[in-house]
Amino acid sequence: MTVPLDSNGVSMKDYLSPVQCTWCDGCGDYGIWTALRQALVELKIAPTQVLLCYDVGCHGNMSDKLSGYRFHGLHGRVIPFAAGAKLANMKLPVIAEGGDGASFSEGVGHLVHAVRSNYPIVFILHNNANYGLTTGQASALTPKGQKMNTSPNGIPERTLPSMDFIFSLEPTFVARGFSGAIWQLKEILKAAIQHRGFAFVDVLQACPSYNKFATHEYLLERCYDSWKEGHDPKDLAKARHLACDTSQRIATGVLYQNQDVPNFYEELVARKGIETTPVEEVGIKDIGDLMKDFM
Amino acid sequence: MFHHVLCLSRVSLKIVGASGQGINSVGEILAKGLKRAGYCVFGYREYPSLIKGGHASYQLDISAGTIGSSERQVDLLLTFNHHGLTINLPDVKDGGVIIHSVADWKWTPEASKDIAKRKIKVVYLPVEELLKKLKAKSILANVLLSAFLWSAFDQKADVLKDLVGSRFAKKKDLLELNMRCIEEGMAFTDSTVGHLSIPLPKPDRVWKDHLLLTGAHALGLGAVHAGVRFYAGYPMTPSSPLLTFIAELQNKTQMAVKQAEDEITAAQMVSGAAFMGTRALTATAGGGFDLMTETLSMNGMIENSPVFVVAQRPGPATGLPTWTAQADLLMTVHSAHGEFPRCIVAPGDAEDAFHLMPQAFNIAERFQTPVLVLTDKQLMEALYTQAPYDQSKTTLDRGALVTGAKQLAALKESDRYDPKAKDGISKRWLPGAKAATFCAQADEHDGHGNSVDDAENARFQMEKRMKKMSALKSFLPQPDLYRIENGKLIIDNSNPSLDLLLIGWGSTKTVVLDALRDEKFAGKNIGYLHFTYVWPLKTERFAQLAAKAKKVVLVEGNQQGQLGMLLAQESGVRVESKILKYDGRPFFVDELVEKIEPFVLSSSVKRPRSSRR
Repeated sequence: MTVPLDSNGVSMKDYLSPVQCTWCDGCGDYGIWTALRQALVELKIAPTQVLLCYDVGCHGNMSDKLSGYRFHGLHGRVIPFAAGAKLANMKLPVIAEGGDGASFSEGVGHLVHAVRSNYPIVFILHNNANYGLTTGQASALTPKGQKMNTSPNGIPERTLPSMDFIFSLEPTFVARGFSGAIWQLKEILKAAIQHRGFAFVDVLQACPSYNKFATHEYLLERCYDSWKEGHDPKDLAKARHLACDTSQRIATGVLYQNQDVPNFYEELVARKGIETTPVEEVGIKDIGDLMKDFM
Repeated sequence: MFHHVLCLSRVSLKIVGASGQGINSVGEILAKGLKRAGYCVFGYREYPSLIKGGHASYQLDISAGTIGSSERQVDLLLTFNHHGLTINLPDVKDGGVIIHSVADWKWTPEASKDIAKRKIKVVYLPVEELLKKLKAKSILANVLLSAFLWSAFDQKADVLKDLVGSRFAKKKDLLELNMRCIEEGMAFTDSTVGHLSIPLPKPDRVWKDHLLLTGAHALGLGAVHAGVRFYAGYPMTPSSPLLTFIAELQNKTQMAVKQAEDEITAAQMVSGAAFMGTRALTATAGGGFDLMTETLSMNGMIENSPVFVVAQRPGPATGLPTWTAQADLLMTVHSAHGEFPRCIVAPGDAEDAFHLMPQAFNIAERFQTPVLVLTDKQLMEALYTQAPYDQSKTTLDRGALVTGAKQLAALKESDRYDPKAKDGISKRWLPGAKAATFCAQADEHDGHGNSVDDAENARFQMEKRMKKMSALKSFLPQPDLYRIENGKLIIDNSNPSLDLLLIGWGSTKTVVLDALRDEKFAGKNIGYLHFTYVWPLKTERFAQLAAKAKKVVLVEGNQQGQLGMLLAQESGVRVESKILKYDGRPFFVDELVEKIEPFVLSSSVKRPRSSRR
């Protein structure tokens, strides 16, 4: 499928914003920004039909660089906002984005419970292995020993094994993309948007200003498309191994997907069989029957 | 012997025992039974932060007239164990009655002397023996004790039988056993005291069709009525009863309910749900609200409309988890960083708790800013006798929400946060609408929600948001003045000259009103100014009344007189006299009457200078 630049349906033009991009030259956010819009266009999702939620960080500066209903909130808190929004209106796709700094430190609890709850939203992890916007401090995913802004002697903590951690939570969708592989990332995001539950998409991206280790060239050399090598995303053990072992090469693509687990909304007994959304149901309700219990 | 009881317009019963022993069960059975028999009942629970064990109480204050408070000392004490005999002896009035089931209990010489001196009657009810005779399990002690009291109150068996019977309608064996327990309990006569008789005032039929419910129930019903369709919360006493009630109702209301992993999550989830366009509610206590405040600030910035219930308990820190306070007023008014509009409403009783919920959402949506419902353990857990709610006057106000296709199509992106909008209230529309799209931007932003940091825009946007605060303040009503006239409680907003002006807010309302009804104050020129809307604070009526009143006294459940501080800040009028309580207990009516008395007496002796500074 090709991305229509202009058509009678949804096109890339619809997602244009007059606001200029402010990311550094060579920032991975350009690639993610492009792939995201392409994925939405190819799925024929108009800007009025999606809610894009941004955490705080360099990626959050995307919030006014494209069209669509958008939200740009607090550091570390994007997931519960996005989940609450989605549960209020299941008819709208909801995509949350956050950086590795927020998502694996201040907001890690939200990430854990989003996987556990299997909220029907997409989470795009902008993973540049540091806090870029606050000028290059170490995140939980920065390799141990790296000299960073607040750690001139190299960071003393061990690196959080993010993929092993995610897999330990029994996720239903885990993908890894690379900001330089835009076509593949677009395909990953399309699969994520169509996933039944919580779709975790780890996007490795360069941070030309502060990440001197995993540069664009480094990622280019190591990332490979696991689909092309015949990886079956139903194979949990294989997926976990591929996701966690990045010592030689870095596997990308949808690494694991399980569509059999109901999402949080589907698990709500009180909402079974109800066609309307909580947004549509707002109105003054008669509580005459409920009062009877207190007579 | 009980002639003094006959004179009283109210009778109080305190049921004590270990948590989990069944005191709540007896309290609930009797409360409902008495309400159905034509009495106004006010229930009050004290309990430690434990699941089982610990010493707990369930007190019922009963009257044929309106009642909304508890007495410190009670006419009747029912104890499930011997601890109650020692701990609660001082809680019994002179001439009162103690009922217990502790076999072979021996009072200490001091206690015996006290009981004799204060003419307290002690009744031993051999519960174990009676249960053995009936071949009933120990859980039926609750029914037996309830029935004994029911008989002492000279009530008819059928009301109690109907009430207990409705619980076991489908279990015939249990039903029969329960009925026999009622008969046995009602027939029991103490060999030394004879038939115990504690006559209640003449009942009033009006109470029969009333509701008997806690403030948490009232808030929950109000939330459902208001159209809340999403609730997220994290358990914390005393907000948990609301979470529990909302969760229990979910299969009837079909509300989406989420027990979140923490308070920040709950706050963010309701923010997301509100932004998407539903009515979303969360509730917490002071400590949990501390965690929510960054999110509160965010909602101020993105002009979003979730509602937060904050149920107070004594702090700082975890404080007294299961007790009450009114000490988070300044905290909620000043909570969260930056300057943004907010509204804080404080229900005073079960009537307010219900009606303020749709009102809170109407305000939140009309002014596109968060609303806090500030309450406390006392209101959340006290049992109120409440007239069935009049639902006919509730309106749905969604403010500047645009929904029509034509109007939506005409919108520009920059309309969403247009700084030129009247009163700062710009058009709002929901994600999914076929309209220009925008960003709900927590960074300072322009009309589109684009992140902008130029000085002029920052000034315009701050002024836009704060204009809503001025509009909100104009929109809110002045506080109501309550007075007793010809023995009846009235709302008198004619700004009369008073000998004594009492000022309060929140759950203190009902105890102050009960104190005003006390015969000691009959014919006295006392008024009570009650603040339901505590922020933004309207002070005109307060200032006018205070200037004319001989004495002005604050009544608050905190150490500093926090409402007084806000009134001084907003009006320049400082209230010097304060009746404050900060020991975790609510005001008791007899205690409050005692504390008000000196101000009533001294006002005729010595006229103080105006409290105005």
